[in-house]
Amino acid sequence: MQAKSPLARVVVHAVLLCGSFLFLFPLFWMITTSLKPVEETMLTPPRWIPSVWRFDNYVQAVTYGSQALGYIPFFEYGKNTLLLCVLVVTGTVVSNALIAYGFARLEWPGRNALFGLTLATMMIPFPVLMVPMFVLFKHLGWVGTFRPLWVTAWFGSAFNIFLLRQFFLTIPRELSDAAVVDGCSEFQVFRHIILPLSRPALAVVALFSFLYTWNDFLGPLIYLNDQRMFTLSLGLQFYQSQAGGTEWHLLMAAATIVVLPIIVLFFFTQRTFIQGIAVTGMKG
Amino acid sequence: MSKPLRIGGTLVLAALLYIGFTRGPQAAPRDGRVHITYWEKWTGFEADAMRAVVKEFNRSQDRIFVEMLTISQIDRKLLLAAAGGVPPDVVGLWSMNLSAFADRQVLHPLDDSLTRHGIRRDDYIPAYWDLCEYRGRMYALPTTPGSLALHWNKKLFREAGLDPERPPRTIEELDEYAERLTKRDERGHTVCMGFMPNEPGWWNWSWGHYFGGGMWDGSERITADCPENIQGFEWARSYSRKYGVQNVQLFRSGFGNFSSPQNAFLSGKVAMELQGVWMGNFIDKYAPGMEWGAAPFPYPAGHPELAEVSYVEADVLCIPVGARHMDEAFEFIRFVSSQKGMELLCLGQRKHTPLAQVSPEFIAQHPNPYIQVFIDVAKRTRTFSGPKTPVWSEYQNEMDAAFDEIWLGQAGAADALGRVRVRMQGRLDRALAAAARREDRS
Amino acid sequence: MTEFRRRQVRAGLAFISPWLIGLGVFLLYPIIASLYYSFCDYSVLDRARPVGVANYAELGSDKLFWKSLLNTLFYAAFSVPLGLCLALGLALLLNSGVRGLTIYRTIFFLPALVPMVALAVLWLWIFNGEYGVLNSFLSGLRVPAPGWLTDPAWSKPALVLLSLWGVGYAMVIFLAGLQEVPVHLYEAADLDGANWRHKLWHVTLPMISPVLLFNGIMGIIGSLQFFAIPYIMAPNGQPARSAYFYAMYLYDNAFLYLRMGYASAMAWILFLLILFLTLLSLRLAARYVHYEAG
Repeated sequence: MQAKSPLARVVVHAVLLCGSFLFLFPLFWMITTSLKPVEETMLTPPRWIPSVWRFDNYVQAVTYGSQALGYIPFFEYGKNTLLLCVLVVTGTVVSNALIAYGFARLEWPGRNALFGLTLATMMIPFPVLMVPMFVLFKHLGWVGTFRPLWVTAWFGSAFNIFLLRQFFLTIPRELSDAAVVDGCSEFQVFRHIILPLSRPALAVVALFSFLYTWNDFLGPLIYLNDQRMFTLSLGLQFYQSQAGGTEWHLLMAAATIVVLPIIVLFFFTQRTFIQGIAVTGMKG
Repeated sequence: MSKPLRIGGTLVLAALLYIGFTRGPQAAPRDGRVHITYWEKWTGFEADAMRAVVKEFNRSQDRIFVEMLTISQIDRKLLLAAAGGVPPDVVGLWSMNLSAFADRQVLHPLDDSLTRHGIRRDDYIPAYWDLCEYRGRMYALPTTPGSLALHWNKKLFREAGLDPERPPRTIEELDEYAERLTKRDERGHTVCMGFMPNEPGWWNWSWGHYFGGGMWDGSERITADCPENIQGFEWARSYSRKYGVQNVQLFRSGFGNFSSPQNAFLSGKVAMELQGVWMGNFIDKYAPGMEWGAAPFPYPAGHPELAEVSYVEADVLCIPVGARHMDEAFEFIRFVSSQKGMELLCLGQRKHTPLAQVSPEFIAQHPNPYIQVFIDVAKRTRTFSGPKTPVWSEYQNEMDAAFDEIWLGQAGAADALGRVRVRMQGRLDRALAAAARREDRS
Repeated sequence: MTEFRRRQVRAGLAFISPWLIGLGVFLLYPIIASLYYSFCDYSVLDRARPVGVANYAELGSDKLFWKSLLNTLFYAAFSVPLGLCLALGLALLLNSGVRGLTIYRTIFFLPALVPMVALAVLWLWIFNGEYGVLNSFLSGLRVPAPGWLTDPAWSKPALVLLSLWGVGYAMVIFLAGLQEVPVHLYEAADLDGANWRHKLWHVTLPMISPVLLFNGIMGIIGSLQFFAIPYIMAPNGQPARSAYFYAMYLYDNAFLYLRMGYASAMAWILFLLILFLTLLSLRLAARYVHYEAG
């Protein structure tokens, strides 16, 4: 519906501007608090702009850590998180593309039933799987390592299979048929025809799984013991004091560091992101 | 993608896969020694004190090397690690964790090692030795003890017209003093509370003890809502009622970090606080020059038999089940528990020692001027600690939740505590049955 | 079977082989195992001991189970509808042809990207009763400022408010849906003399009803598993367990009290609840949702 009258236009703009302010304000607050000296963090009424810009809060957060726990190896956590992200994203894209191809472009008995079963599994809440998976990994001796956090990504996930299968179905049959006539194996069709045409969909899968892994909290919480192996989301918790009271300026600095890469990534990949979300919603 | 890029990319991926697969807790260097991992909860100067002991141990012999790691939320982490099959060799827990962990067979009983090395109950202040015992077996040795006393801010006393050298002796006096010490500003905003039962809030469940109450009968009956407990909680509630729930909650949410000059007691926001023997250390570090005193917590007037009641707890060292080097682990624990090791550690942490014997230099050198108060209350018979039952952590959570309800005026003490009793009695009955079954089987 | 067909079958199975492992080992096995555990007393440090329906029976009389369930239902009942309304409202505004669509869309979507941990600590700060910026706003407007996370009556509303900040995802999906609505339907409505309210009710909503359904179901499933944020912002559901949610109690039972059988029983109940609500939604959908048939 179009807003035709000028009055309607103005009202819409006003509401949107108001909304934007409300939505952006917490992030703005996070950044300004991260740059304040500690005395200014707990003032009533609050200071909107720091009187002194303490960029060294960031240095402190990353090198010294928190008073409660001492040194927090932030860079270490960043490396761990990146490692996991790369492994998960690669595994997700590779495995789900292969699997979705099997569902979309090949015919074999039981295919549709299995796909239906796959869809059904999307409804299973994580808590149901949590305990047996933990027990399984314990018996494998994988608790305390990174393996439970990325190996499963290499074996497919229902949501991504669904997404990619829907996309693969839209690629015209003639292209793959022509390749087969020319003597290509299925894998060659997959690699040389389907994959290049699926860049947008694959990008969406990659971005979503990156975001998910970067933000993952419960997985690292359960499986990682050695603090040197923690991820950024776990590490952020350390700035919260157990005994009461928190160093807000350091905590906000650390939080900003954790949020920033995602926002930067988003700015560069906006269109793909939005497209991807739209597609999932539409076909769902 | 061009060929070199693809090859390069594949190599990088292979490298990352390798790292992702093999990365685990750091492997021990090969130097002929047995390497044992030791998880400890302490940070800051408390950790430094233990590190000095670890260093001394590593230096004094060349068969064993102890690697100490600082772990936060150590009780939770130990559970996860034990459940996951990857526990450390030595772990530093709190005495209140022992029952639950021992019951769940997370910890090794130490009786054999203790007898072999000749370590006996008489070597310790009884209260602390008993903390480490569960169902007739010893599961830990205490390292640093803790007893409580009422700390007060002498300067604020003076300003309120109270004698700074005379702490309140009865609960009624405490209430009176608190009233005189509480200050508000022109807007009605609290700027100083004389006393806050929920600051620091670590022992919210325990207020009944000071009135003669207790958590259970020692074996099978939960007494959460016995009359003395109800009295204690209603007394605590009187504070939120008198000073206004909203007011107090708001005031509290503005407290700074415990380990900083913005600590509520250190910054003069709370004039009297029930705290442990470690507090002197924090005062020295973050508010040097503060005038303070410590005395046993007051008793209800007319009940002198309840004088000098103190909560006792201890940090303890245990060996989890599944530890790879049990004998070496015990050797380290034994070293820490020796007179020399213990005094080094406790002096460093500015606490008293759990050992029965104390060298006179220890007391003379001790930086805490009130250390004798803490030693004395620990030796009394009316000390208490959390009940030694595996349901204690849930019981404690329930008590904390009940305290909240009572404090916020959501429920009466009898009602809230009664509900806790009903729930926990069921839990306790079941836990006792399970323990009996397990003992029958073994 | 022809050679071609055989090749397809072989290839098909080869391509989906990772999924066979993924489905079997990481999905079906855990589902069956957790069902088995739910009928056992299991602490993972000891063997599982079957106890029949004791876990389920105990849950029935477990006050904390009901409290956490009610807390979760309260949260879902408010955050899902409010979230949908807000997301749809924003999408409608953005779809009205205003300039700067991309910028606004980015702004509203950004919060949904923030990692949950960072989000939790940020809002912990914002909701702080004494120094929080939200209360400063409110006192500036002379509105009584509640204690939010220290007040049991306000802890859940605070979390609902927080959830509204993340409606970006749903908004983008709605926006895509709105852009698919055929223009000629609006033109026909205009010819019939409809005002914007009529157009909204009779054209827009029916046409995006599948999207509404999708977002609704996703919202329900997500809100019933609410964990990380309250875990960080309100440990143990403080104050007074007002913010103790189902997934938190489940996690505590599994990893704190080491009662994995009990936790598995809770997980299955959650599953059945989600199943029930999803089927209910689909049933309602059959009556109200229109798919573009032509």
